[in-house]
Amino acid sequence: MDHTPTDLSAVRRPIAQANGLPNAHYIDAGVFEEERNAVLFDNWAGLAVAADVPEVGDAVPITFLGMPLLVVRDKDANVRVFQNTCRHRGMILVDEPRKIEGAIRCPYHSWCYATDGRLVSTPHVGGPGQNTHESMDRALLGLIEIRSHIWMDVIYINISGTAAPFEDANADLISRWVEFDKPLHHGGADSRFELTVNCNWKLAVENYCESYHLPWVHPGLNSYSRLEDHYHVEAPDKYAGQGTLVYRQLKDEVGHSFPDFDALTDKWDTAAEYITVFPNVLLGVHRDHTFAIVLVPQGPEQTVEHIHLYYARPDTDAGLRARNTQQWKEVFGEDVFVVEGMQRGRHGVNFDGGRFSPAMDGPTHLFHAWVAGQLESHRSQSKAAE
Amino acid sequence: MSDLDKRLLAAHAQGDAAALVTLYREAADQTNDAQAQGFYLTHAHVFALEIGHPDTATLRQRLIDQGREAPLHPPNPPLR
Repeated sequence: MDHTPTDLSAVRRPIAQANGLPNAHYIDAGVFEEERNAVLFDNWAGLAVAADVPEVGDAVPITFLGMPLLVVRDKDANVRVFQNTCRHRGMILVDEPRKIEGAIRCPYHSWCYATDGRLVSTPHVGGPGQNTHESMDRALLGLIEIRSHIWMDVIYINISGTAAPFEDANADLISRWVEFDKPLHHGGADSRFELTVNCNWKLAVENYCESYHLPWVHPGLNSYSRLEDHYHVEAPDKYAGQGTLVYRQLKDEVGHSFPDFDALTDKWDTAAEYITVFPNVLLGVHRDHTFAIVLVPQGPEQTVEHIHLYYARPDTDAGLRARNTQQWKEVFGEDVFVVEGMQRGRHGVNFDGGRFSPAMDGPTHLFHAWVAGQLESHRSQSKAAE
Repeated sequence: MSDLDKRLLAAHAQGDAAALVTLYREAADQTNDAQAQGFYLTHAHVFALEIGHPDTATLRQRLIDQGREAPLHPPNPPLR
């Protein structure tokens, strides 16, 4: 770290006295890099969804925080994540999404890798027509695999390899939503969209976590969903979000709605919850659909939101799906000016991170405190290693 | 340039991996030069690997029998 560490002491104070993260955490390239390591690489960060690679051999290259990665569904239908880099001379292996029919062949010297990452051919490595060499142990030269885990169809990765197993790190949330631990059917091409927003990725989380803004930013929701119909979801150092008690199903002109997930308890007749899986995945659950938003930071001041909608059955009505997608596009679109406005606001050099409403901003403060905790922990480890 | 060379170049130009498997194997079978045969067989095998050609295992075995290739090692489970 080649910059002076930011002062995080005010962030982890009790909410009534706390300030938010300092401006540098939204606009400074050095702090962005520090958070990349301490917050996103050291934890289980969302990368993509399994529906991005639905069939065996599907391969999608993704640049995540500067790292070239490759998501592949291998021949045994396992989703794997690799560094998209040949072990020979470091060439990028796959440039665009495509189907791997057999092996991944490096376009440079044609070293070949199985979809499970094994190095299966090193042509001429021992001279013309001699494809082995005693110093080239293929068992040690497979693609570098990144630790991954799939939950609610989202592919989470732990790049540092040091996080607790996903099921342990997120045990409470998995338990909270165990009723949705069943097949989720991606709605397909009409049920995915992207938003490129000019803000730091954390602002999207912060806005998502709280219901305080709903009546002001989403007045359409407010007509049937009053502020007092919402509740905070607060699990310190684990996850944060909000819930509603008055979810109403979308219906078409003749009153059809999506089928419900099987065997939900009565709570979900009218409840819905919106929770951030720290650090960068926003999930929503309802009786008849779920969604996932994977936030992929492009730099300190830009983020791409990858949005996916899921249903209880594979054969839902296309017209209804289109309506639902449109509805969420409008809601998430309404948030863009807010997150971009907060981003611009953080160039005000005298802004002190802002204050939190003790009554209304609990989940957002909880996220700030978690980020600060991750950074402090990382800093102390780095110091101990010096 | 031989007819085979022309067909090989055309297959490369078109990115036709299936044709490259066939043509490199043909080249290997036509030559009496052991090193040239190893070279051509290697290329046939690589393009076969790339497209999951049904003759991949046979081509690999020919290379193994000539001391030019090694058997596959077993895969690792996904890293979770």
